[in-house]
Amino acid sequence: MTSEISLAPVPRAVPATRRSSSGVPPTVLLSFLAVLVVVLWSLLPGLFTSYSPVVGDTAAKLDAPSAAHWFGTDYLGRDLYARVVYGTASSVSSALVAVLIGLVVGGAIGLASGFRGGWVDTVLGRFVDVLLAIPGFLLAVVIVSSLGFQTINAAIATGVTAVAVFARLMRAEVVRVRSAAFVEASYLEGGSRLHVLLRHILPNAYRSVLVLAVLQFGTSILVIASLAFLGYGDPPPASDWGLLVASGKTYPTAPWLVYAPALVIVITVLSVNRISRWLRKVK
Amino acid sequence: MTSQYKRYALTRAAQAIAVVLLAYVLTFLVISVLPGDSITNSLRDPQHGLSEEEIQRIVAFYGLDKPVLVQLALSLGRFLTGELGFSLQSNLPVAQLIGDALPSTLGLAASALVIAVVLAVAIAYGAHYLPGKWAAVLRSIPALFLSVPNFVIGLVLIELFAFRLHSFTTTDPNSAAATLFAAITLAIPVSAPLAEVLIASLDHESRQDYALVARSRGLNEASLFVRHLVKPSALPTVTMVALIVGELLGGAVITETTFGRDGLGTVVQKAVTGEDQPVLQAAVALSAIVFVAVNLIADLVSPLVDPRVKVRTEVHA
Repeated sequence: MTSEISLAPVPRAVPATRRSSSGVPPTVLLSFLAVLVVVLWSLLPGLFTSYSPVVGDTAAKLDAPSAAHWFGTDYLGRDLYARVVYGTASSVSSALVAVLIGLVVGGAIGLASGFRGGWVDTVLGRFVDVLLAIPGFLLAVVIVSSLGFQTINAAIATGVTAVAVFARLMRAEVVRVRSAAFVEASYLEGGSRLHVLLRHILPNAYRSVLVLAVLQFGTSILVIASLAFLGYGDPPPASDWGLLVASGKTYPTAPWLVYAPALVIVITVLSVNRISRWLRKVK
Repeated sequence: MTSQYKRYALTRAAQAIAVVLLAYVLTFLVISVLPGDSITNSLRDPQHGLSEEEIQRIVAFYGLDKPVLVQLALSLGRFLTGELGFSLQSNLPVAQLIGDALPSTLGLAASALVIAVVLAVAIAYGAHYLPGKWAAVLRSIPALFLSVPNFVIGLVLIELFAFRLHSFTTTDPNSAAATLFAAITLAIPVSAPLAEVLIASLDHESRQDYALVARSRGLNEASLFVRHLVKPSALPTVTMVALIVGELLGGAVITETTFGRDGLGTVVQKAVTGEDQPVLQAAVALSAIVFVAVNLIADLVSPLVDPRVKVRTEVHA
C-alpha cells in the first residue's frame, strides 16, 4: 500500500510444468498404454470380451453398467462393451487409412511443390488453396456422399481433407532444408536430385511430418466418428464408435449408451494428441 | 505504403475470387464425376415422385444429357449470374431454401464465435495468471476440448440441461435457451486452438522488455494485460479466423443435427441423404464464399492491426 514502486511478481506459469527433463512423463506413458489397449482391441477383440457384438439377450435389454456388462446393454440386450471392442478395428483402421492418404498425397504434393519450385509450385499451391477454401468437414461430407455411405469412403473423404495440411507442412520443410548449405554441398559433390531428396530432405522433414501424422490420426478419429454419427458410415450391425453414440442417443433413459462409446473416443483421441505433443517437444 | 497496400489488397481480392470459382469447380467435379448415383438415376427414384415431363425439364435445365464439361460450364455460368437452380427433393428454388436456412445458422455461428472468444480469453488469462496448479489445469483444457467430438458435447449438454435440469426442451430447438446450448456446443472445439494461441502469445509477450518496463512503472498485471498484452496477441488471433470459420461452418452440420435445429447444416444433411446435388453444390459454394471472404478480410486487416506485418504481393502458398 505504501510502497511507491511495486514490482509485480513475474507470472510463474512455465516452471510448474517442467518436471523430469529426462524420461517419459507419466501422462505420456498412460497415453501409450491407452493406445496399446485400443490397438489390441482392434487386432484381437475376442481376447477382451466373451460376448458377441451382434447377438444379444433380449431379456437383459437396456441394463445399466454392471460387473457382467461393463458398459451396460443396448435395446437388443447386446453387451455394449463387446460392441465397442469389436467396433474398434473399423474405427481405428479407417483413421489410419485417412492419415495414409493425407500423408502420401499431401506429402507428394508438398515435395513436388517445394522441390521443383516455379510453375509446379504455383499450380500445386493454388490447388491446395482451393482444397482449403471448402471447410474441411463439408468437403468430407460432399466426398462421402458421392462415393456412397460406407466407412471406407468416410476414411477416404477424411483423408482428402487432410491432404492440404500435409502438403503445406511438407513444402515448408522442403523449402527450409533445400536452401541449407549441406544440400548445396551435396549438389556440388555431384549428388543427383533423387540422392538429395532421399539423403537430406526426407530425413530432415520426417520428424515434423510424423508429429502431424500422429495429430491427424486423432483428428481423423473425430471426423470419421462424426461422419458415422450422421449415418455416413457402415450401417448397423456395424459398431463404429460414432455410430454407437448415434444409436445410443435415441434412448435417453439409458445414457450409458452414449457415454461409454463417447468416453472411449475421447480417451483415445486425448492419448493420441498427448503423444503428438510429446513427440513435438522431444527433439 | 498506401499504394503498396492497395496493390496487395487488389491481388488478394483477385486471388480470393479465383479460389472461390475453382472451389466451385472442384465441388462440381466431386459431386458429378465420382461414382455413385448420378442425378438422372436419382431423378427416376420414385420417392421424388417426378413425372416424365418434369424429369425431361430438369435434364434439359442441367444439361444432363451432355458431357460433364458442358454441364460444368452451364453450372458455372448459372452460378456467376446468381441462378442456383431448383431442389430435386422439394422443387423449391435453391436460393430460397438456403436463404431461409441461413439466418438461423448465422445466428448460431455468431453466438458460438462470441462464446468461443470469451471462453478462450478466460482460459488464457487464467492459465497465465492463476497460481501454479490452477494454471496447469487450465493449460490442459484446450487439449481436452480438442479431443471431444462436437456431437458428444451436444449430447452431454442435452442430457444434463434438457433432461435433468430442464433448462430447455429439445422439442423447441429454436428457443433462446436451446440456441445458447447449441452455440456452446459449437464454441467449445473452436475455443481450444484460440486459447492455445492466446496462451502462447501471452507467454511470449509478457517476457518482452516493454512488459518489464510497464511493470516497473508500477502497472498491475490486470492493466498490463488489457493495455499491452491483448493488442499484440490480437494478430495471431485474427489469422486464426480462417480455422475458426471453417470449424463453425463444418460444426454447424453436426450441431444442428444433434439439437434438431433447422439451418444450413440441416439443409446440407438433407441434400446429402436425398442426393439433392443442386442444393449441396450451392450450400458448399456458399460456405466457400463465406470462408474465403472472411480470410480475405483477415488478410487485409492484419497489416492495419499490426504494422509489423509486411505487406507482400508475391504469391505464397
